[in-house]
Amino acid sequence: MDERNLQSNREFKTHRSPVLSDSDNSMLNGVRIHGKEEDKMVGKPLRVVHYLNQFFGGIGGEDKAHAEPQMKMGPIGPGKAVQGAFGDQGKVVATIICGDNYFAERIEDATTEVMNLIKSQQPDVVIAGPAFDAGRYGIACGAVCKRAQSQLGIPAVTGMFVENPGVDLFRKDVYIIETENSARRMSDVISKMVNIACRLVAKEKIGKPSLEGYFARGYLRNEVSDRIGAERVVSMLLAKLRGEPFQSEVPPPKYDRVKPASGLKDLHAATIALVTDGGLVPKGNPDRIQAREATRFGSYSFKDTDGLNPDDYEVNHVGYSPVFVLQDPHRLVPVDVMLDLEKEGIIGKLHKKFYSTAGAVCVVENIRKMGQAIAKELKEEGVSGVILTST
Amino acid sequence: MLTKELERAGLPTSHICALTPVAQMVGSNRIIPASSVLHPVGDPNRDPAAEKAFRRGIVEEAIRHLQDQSNG
Amino acid sequence: MEIQMRLQLDILNIKDVQFGDRTRITEGVLYINRQELQEFLKEDKRLSGVDVELAHPGEKCRIIQASDVAEPRAKTKGGVDFPGALGKQGTVGQGNTCVLRGTAVVVSECRREGDPPMQPGFPRHGRIIDMSGPGAELSIYGKTHNIVVVPRPANEISVQEYRIALKIAELKAAVYLAKAGKDLEPDEIEVYELPAPSKIGKGLEHLPKVAYIFQFIPGQFETIPGYPVLYGSNASSIVPTLLHPNEILDGAMVTPYRTMAIDVFGLQNHSMIKELYQRHGKDLCFAGVIITVGQGDERENERAAIMSANLAKWVLGADGVVLTKSGGGIPEVPLALTAQRCEELGVKTSLAITHYPADVGDADGSILFNAPEVDAIVSLGTPWNPITLPPVERIIGEPAAFPEGPPVDGPIETTFRWMKGIFSQIGNSRLIAVRY
Repeated sequence: MDERNLQSNREFKTHRSPVLSDSDNSMLNGVRIHGKEEDKMVGKPLRVVHYLNQFFGGIGGEDKAHAEPQMKMGPIGPGKAVQGAFGDQGKVVATIICGDNYFAERIEDATTEVMNLIKSQQPDVVIAGPAFDAGRYGIACGAVCKRAQSQLGIPAVTGMFVENPGVDLFRKDVYIIETENSARRMSDVISKMVNIACRLVAKEKIGKPSLEGYFARGYLRNEVSDRIGAERVVSMLLAKLRGEPFQSEVPPPKYDRVKPASGLKDLHAATIALVTDGGLVPKGNPDRIQAREATRFGSYSFKDTDGLNPDDYEVNHVGYSPVFVLQDPHRLVPVDVMLDLEKEGIIGKLHKKFYSTAGAVCVVENIRKMGQAIAKELKEEGVSGVILTST
Repeated sequence: MLTKELERAGLPTSHICALTPVAQMVGSNRIIPASSVLHPVGDPNRDPAAEKAFRRGIVEEAIRHLQDQSNG
Repeated sequence: MEIQMRLQLDILNIKDVQFGDRTRITEGVLYINRQELQEFLKEDKRLSGVDVELAHPGEKCRIIQASDVAEPRAKTKGGVDFPGALGKQGTVGQGNTCVLRGTAVVVSECRREGDPPMQPGFPRHGRIIDMSGPGAELSIYGKTHNIVVVPRPANEISVQEYRIALKIAELKAAVYLAKAGKDLEPDEIEVYELPAPSKIGKGLEHLPKVAYIFQFIPGQFETIPGYPVLYGSNASSIVPTLLHPNEILDGAMVTPYRTMAIDVFGLQNHSMIKELYQRHGKDLCFAGVIITVGQGDERENERAAIMSANLAKWVLGADGVVLTKSGGGIPEVPLALTAQRCEELGVKTSLAITHYPADVGDADGSILFNAPEVDAIVSLGTPWNPITLPPVERIIGEPAAFPEGPPVDGPIETTFRWMKGIFSQIGNSRLIAVRY
């Protein structure tokens, strides 16, 4: 972090404003943390279980990557640094060691096996890794932490290098401390992991990713700056004009790329389906598709003689004015033209159902799931190509 | 984003979209510019017959893209 | 003849608002002849009746269905009030305008059965202004003495005509009230004076020239025919053009019916314009304002992007521009296109945006553009964060019949999106959405 970044962060008020009252708990996916108040600082130390792979667990190298999950009492290898970081506040009661390949080849089951071992120790907190840039290890750490949170309701923290695939897979669910790509600064990383873990147990607010050193989990939270937006944006422009470094408050989005499917070889044999995210639904919205943040989609049949009758449909979508589409739904879902193309033999068949959802205020995960579900249904019904219409 | 999941499952998908920069950013592969946000494959300023012909033009373009191996 | 547009705001600091026998201002208190104001507003035949209520900071009072807010202002010299909108056409942005600071006119909409809501999913309480509690702490209207105007539609008029009548009632009330101050000595004066581009800059050559590109209509919503937005007429299809910033401050521009986090009050106190004015001659030279609208049609957006960028670079001579949008996600596309065109011409850009496109738990999808050169972005907050409002003792405004819901005077779990005066698309808020 450069000086300037720290500077601007310090300008923000750190008091809790009323609107943020429920966010801490909601941040952990609704999991309530059974922090035992009396264990917080003095009194009984927290029971800690540490997860390691075969290498850090001292069993062996790649030759032992198929090792089944096993438990050893007390801290092992880096676990000693974990114990040191907890000091009197925590006791590493057990270490679970599992081979990276064993885990990677059966992620769900391996997670369950590891969880059973963890459960037996009745821990208050789980520490996994850190995995640095080891991909299989990172995925295992992420999976173990995520399951420990959801199944046992306890905090679980890990650490990885930015390119570890475990980061993108698990950062929304788990606090992952950012590490370098090798095991240097192990104790520094472990300190940060343990620090966050203790605060999670105490249900304290965890600060911003850049300050605390974890990967942003993808939540947006309103806070109150010391300056109004107009002042901040003009100052940012002046810094940019002067060639000075500045910290954008909004980073660019990241979207993955997909290799396109093969094109249709024979149009005359193809069945094409129409899909829309413009929110066109039958009157009454029978599937109750939401006008924004949709989690549901519907498929609606139409007769091949009529096309879409405006009296039968409505639009449920917050992001545009549906006036013109309500007058003629074909302006969004071109059934009439497709029927003509089918009659003329230009395309093999028009699928006699159109699929619909609303693409306003999308949650990427929901759209992804709906896309997968729609694709599955379309393929089962023999569709070979799709035209998607969006506003 | 819907287009990506459909393509991932092996269904070539043409995306008729009014905001092509968004489609490009999000990663749709076969992008066809729509008429407008308010009427992607329509045009209320034309008379019905002309509007339908206009709609057909856009749809035919979308179908052509379905036959491509990819759209750059 | 004047050599530059000079606007003087004669500001009266109002400490309290009460009903009284005559509309007047005495010792910082605005007294309102309620009957006179109600009857004046009811002259509009599109309305069957008008109620006027008062809401003071600190009261356990909730204003619902707040569709817009305006600051009481009236021209005392050199112009007409809300030209075109209130009938008379004329110029604004110079002369004197009386301002009743510390007050606001809030217009509250009544929905008849069968009238469509502003948008799908509109809650029965519409947009809220709370006068105490967390809502009031965060909202600028929780701190003003609010004169709430509740016009009722006449039975036979269309909902669109009513919505125009709503805005007119708001503007008329704002002018009526401010006229009470026209002969009084102001408590404070603000002067806004900016010469034409060719005359600007004497002695300021070393300062960077900064212009503001103001997207004031998003283009994703229906235009109501006859709605007075710019000098009294619709402006949904205009190409980018120049306005003197004073024209925006002084009533040439009125918000369209459906807005998201911009009110007439916000335009009158335009924070971006005020910020540029304040810094003019200090660390920048305020080069001017370009107004533009978002469009649903991609070619029109491309056209607007090129024309805005050219106006900024070749007509105003800007070194840098700040840009804002109005509306949700769709208008981010023309916004980003415009910024890209500016950067192509060597005009550096910074943007200030609210995060409408994605849910609070999906920060990665929260903006709809991704151009590496458009890299200076200020966050104006996310509408999707929750806020819990306490129960209140008094409600002003009428809840809609649909959708059904808990009583509007009880505690309300809602999001920032349904509050007025907390967010601002033009930077008049200290909110920032932080990624966690």
